[in-house]
Order: sequence, then C-alpha cells, then structure tokens
Amino acid sequence: MPPLELLLQQALNGVMLGVMYALIAVGFTLFFGVLDVIHFSHGDVFMLGAFAGLSALLGLAAVGLTGGLLALPLAFAGSMLATGLVGVAAERVCVKPLARSSPLMTLLATLSLGLVLREAVLIFYPRGADPKPFPRLLPQGGFEVGGVVVRWENLVILGIGFAAMVAVDLVINRTRMGAAIRAVAQDPEAAQMMGVNLDRTVDATFFLGSALAAVAGILSGLYYSEIHFIMGITGGVIGFSAAAIGGFGNVYGAIIGGLLFGLLQTMAAALIPRGSEFRDVVAFAVVMLFLIVRPSGILGEKSVERV
Amino acid sequence: MLLVWLAEAVVFVLIVAGILAERPPALAATGAAIVALGLLLRTAPALRRRLGEAFAARRGAALAGGAVLALALPFALRASPYWTFVAALALLYVTIGQGLNLQIGSAGLINLAGAAFAGLGGYAVGLLTVGAGWPSWAAVLVAPWVAVVVGALLFVPILKTRGHYLALVTIAFVFIFNILMNNLEFTGGPQGIKNIPTLRILGYAFTTKPVVLGVELPAHANFYYAALVTAWLATVILRRLHDAWLGLGLNTLRDDEIAARCAGVSITRGKLLAFSLGNFFIGLGGALYAVMVGFVSPPDFDFGYSLIMLSVIIIGGVDSIPGVVLGASLLLPLPERFRFLHEYRLLLYGLVILVMLLYRPQGLWPAGIRRYR
Repeated sequence: MPPLELLLQQALNGVMLGVMYALIAVGFTLFFGVLDVIHFSHGDVFMLGAFAGLSALLGLAAVGLTGGLLALPLAFAGSMLATGLVGVAAERVCVKPLARSSPLMTLLATLSLGLVLREAVLIFYPRGADPKPFPRLLPQGGFEVGGVVVRWENLVILGIGFAAMVAVDLVINRTRMGAAIRAVAQDPEAAQMMGVNLDRTVDATFFLGSALAAVAGILSGLYYSEIHFIMGITGGVIGFSAAAIGGFGNVYGAIIGGLLFGLLQTMAAALIPRGSEFRDVVAFAVVMLFLIVRPSGILGEKSVERV
Repeated sequence: MLLVWLAEAVVFVLIVAGILAERPPALAATGAAIVALGLLLRTAPALRRRLGEAFAARRGAALAGGAVLALALPFALRASPYWTFVAALALLYVTIGQGLNLQIGSAGLINLAGAAFAGLGGYAVGLLTVGAGWPSWAAVLVAPWVAVVVGALLFVPILKTRGHYLALVTIAFVFIFNILMNNLEFTGGPQGIKNIPTLRILGYAFTTKPVVLGVELPAHANFYYAALVTAWLATVILRRLHDAWLGLGLNTLRDDEIAARCAGVSITRGKLLAFSLGNFFIGLGGALYAVMVGFVSPPDFDFGYSLIMLSVIIIGGVDSIPGVVLGASLLLPLPERFRFLHEYRLLLYGLVILVMLLYRPQGLWPAGIRRYR
C-alpha cells in the first residue's frame, strides 16, 4: 500500500485531469441531448481548441503581449470563438444531415471528420507532426500541505475549469437559450410547437460544447506544457467514456463521470505495479464493467422500450 | 454469355492498366477510357439494362469468368511484386470485411474492435511460431480460434449494451489491446514479434517464386492465391449464412430486438453466434497478414485500422456481401495508386468517406431485398 501522501497527491492530479475530461464530456452529453447523436470528432475539436489557443498566444506574443494576465484571457476568448464556430460548421456539414439515419452512420461520419481535422492540423500547421511546446504562463512554484505538493498553476487550472462548469450550469439553467436547449433535449417536436427555433438551438448547443472543449484544450496545454495533433483521439475516447459513465444527456453526470475517470487513472497509477503504463487499461476496463452493470450511466434515466 | 465475359474482360483490362500505367500518355489513355466507359453507361440506359439482364441470366458464366480473371491477375501484375502484395492485402480485407459485415451489417453489432481481433489472430501466429516453435500452417489454423475465445470476454457487454454504448465498449477494447501489446514483455512491447516464419505447406515455402505455366510470378503471388482461396471461402460461407434463416434472424434482431424476440428469434444465440463467427474470419485475416508480412507490432492493429475495416463495409454497402468485395478491392489499392498524394492520403480518405456517407449512404453495391422462391 503506498503512503497516504502519495494517494492524496494522486487524488489531486486526478481531479486536475478530471476537470479537463469533464469539460470534454459535457460537450458529448449536450450534443447527445439535442440531436441523439455521438459527435465523435469532438475529441479533435478539443485538439483544435488547444492549437487555436496556442496560435492566439503566439500571435499575441508577436505583438508584444506576453504577460499571462492579459494574454491568457484573450487566448481563451479567441480559441473559444474559433473552436465554437468549427463545432457549428461540423454540426451543419456532417452531424445534422445524418442525425436521422442509423447511429452507425453518424458515428462513422464523425469519426471520418475527426480524421480530416487531425490530418488537416498535421499537414497545414507548421511542422504539425511534432509536439508543440505550450508557453508556461501560469505562476510557478507552490506550497506543501501535509506532504502534498500543491502548485499554483494547478490551482489556477482547477479554478478556470470549475468556473467554466459553473458558467455552463448558469447558461443551461438561467438563460432563454438554455431553456430552449433543455426543451429540445426533452422533445424536439413539442419544443418547436412552443416556438423554439430548432436549428438555432442546435447551433447554440454545438457552439457551447465546442467552446468548452477549447477551454479543456488550453487547460491541457497549460498542464502538460505541450500539445500534439493526436491528443484528440484519447481526449475524445475519454470524454466519450466519461459522458457514458455519467449517463448521456445529463450535464452533471458528465462532470461526475469526468472526475471519476481522472481519479480512476491516477489511482490505478498509484496502486498497481507498473501502474503508469497500465492505468488506461484499468480505467477502460472499469468503464466496460460499469456499462454492463449500469448501462444507462450514473445519472441516466432508465429507458422503457416499446415496439 | 459472350457479352458477360466481354464486360468482365474490359473491366479487368482497365483495372490492370489503371494499376500499371506509369507514363503520362498511358495514364491519360487509361483515365480517358475509364471516364468514357462511365459516361457511356450513364448515358445509355438501354446498354445498362441489357448488361444487367445478361449478368442476371448468366450468373454461373459471370462467376466463372470472374474466377478466371481473379486467378489471372498475378500474371498481369507479375512485373510488380508490390502490386501483387497490395492485391493479396485487399483479399485479406475481403475476409476481414465479410466477418465484420456479419457483425455490423447483419446483426447490427457495432464492433469498432476489428483491428484488435485481427491483431489477436496476428499475435497468436507470432507467439505460436516464434514463441512456441509451431509450424506456421498450424498456427494459422489455430489463431482464428484465439480471436474467438478472447472475443468471449465481450459476450456480456454484447448482450447488455447497444448502439453507442456497444461502440464505446469495443473502442475501449481496442485501446486496452493496444496498450497491453505495447507494454507486455512476452508480446515484444513496441517492437512486436519479428521473423515470423513464412507459410510452408508439404515442404513448399511461400517465399519461393512460383512458376506457373512456364511464367515466373513474384513470391507474393503465393499469398495472393492463399488469400484468394480464403476470401472465396469466407464469401461463400457467409453468403450462404446470410441467405439462410440465420441471416434473416440476425436482420430481424438488428432492426427490432423486441419484435424479433416475439417472432421467436433467440437474441442471445443470434448475437453471440454472429459475433464469434465474425471474429473467426477477422482473426483469420490477421493471422494470414502476420505470415505474409513476417512481423506484427502494435501500430499494425491500432484504432485507425478498425476504421479502415469499417469503411470497407460502408463503401461497399452495409449488409451487402458483394459490396464487401467491391469495397475492399477499391479502398485498399486506391490510396496506394495515388502515392504522389501520400501526405494527403488520410485527409482525402476521410473526405471520401464523409462525402460517401452524406450522398450515397447505402453504399456502392447496396444489399438487395431478400427474395425467396
């Protein structure tokens, strides 16, 4: 049994990872809510968010803005806007036209779109095949509590992540657009009869979800100090898993699922011999078991089928 | 009958010319011929109908002609060992595609772990030959069963989950397979297993260049013929199953489980049978791949290959047996032909599948409506 400090340290790391996963998972679950589809290229939209953020930071540095306090919020805003628009474009081109066909079709279409996005970054971003260093803009250093090292940058990342989640909660529960999103998720036809503009609501949902993925992308860049064009594959699969653990369609479920997945990974790394190599095996195995025992997720509704 | 054979011969000549044409004039002539033929078929519905009737009336002759041309292909390609290899690879994907089509197309089990099951077949061959010293042919015969047995790990998820959730379970399975192969010692880690001995049947090694009818063919022609026989067997067996009660039952449970159960179709038996049988053929394809290439490593069986296998089915037509053959014969060689676009290959590949899904989701050779006489 590893010492308690190690476990606590790993728990902190797990929450850090979990926040990023949760932000991706919320997108998956929102899209599923309004269109009943899995938007599989969402992982690559997350990757695009990171690259958009990096480009914004490099652009700002070129005009002399290097301070984290000003450059970072601008980079977040720029990346969220750009990535959100990419998300809406992806939805218009290949998600909504196929939303009525079988799940296999949307799955494959979005997987292919993900491939296209990935290859586009690989080919068209300067030296896209190499991992890109991400500027360290957050305050370095930290303090120690009971043997656990807490770094300032960790706290900032956690803060931004939780702020983003609270913002989503407010948008969904307190705004007109949020009410429209919830109405469409419940029953698109009834929502339209109540005067909800379906197309606009779907666009807004994809903008919101993709912008959140952009936040996750930049946070991931700040956390690892590096981004790479293939980060979207694992990011997407983990976000998908987290949304499934939580129960598709439920935003809180996705957040819980993301945090759980992060904790699972880091705890597996701490508790199992050679755990850092096999942590994803454990995490995915648990996801599989979980889906068998409770196929509708933690907060998902039990569905009743009729012929 | 002559019309059927003439049509097949024209297609064959165009394929060979399309593959081998290197110099611009030859390439232009081939391209022009293909475009002209396409336009001719498009603008002359009478000719199209006439051809359709001829093929329908002379099925036996059409199949015999196709078989002769498939056997003749290595002779036409004998100048290029590389293209013989690509042709053999396409045939392996026919075997794999037929297995996957039974799962995804007929039974609606979205299996995105095709690469993992092919990998299980391939790694089983590697471990049995290099590790345990078995002869290759015995390993190739046993390897598909390894894929079937390991596939049994997914029996419970197959029965319990559906749609997106099943897709997720199978994606998780590929990732687990890949991480394990990358990190376990006995599978060779990232290097994989090298020096897998080639097939040797009755003392005849598959690396010798065969001399048939006085013509020397590249060594890969051996594998071409082995893959041809395997693909033919897989196609015939799965065509029979597809047309039999099993296929009909699987289609029913794919379309509506509850209605299928009401009609007396056993969901459990149908799904597990389709899944295991599919894994057998996918594993067989992977096993032959391992002896053909001579080594296996984790990147040969990653998630991307699952997508290629899935695309074979989508391009051809979901649940369409001839569609799988067409899909594999187009999807594997075409990117190799356009190697000058090598850098953009995957990008174009994704775009083609996307366009295909948006504008022709039923595939190039859609499954027909079942007819029973």
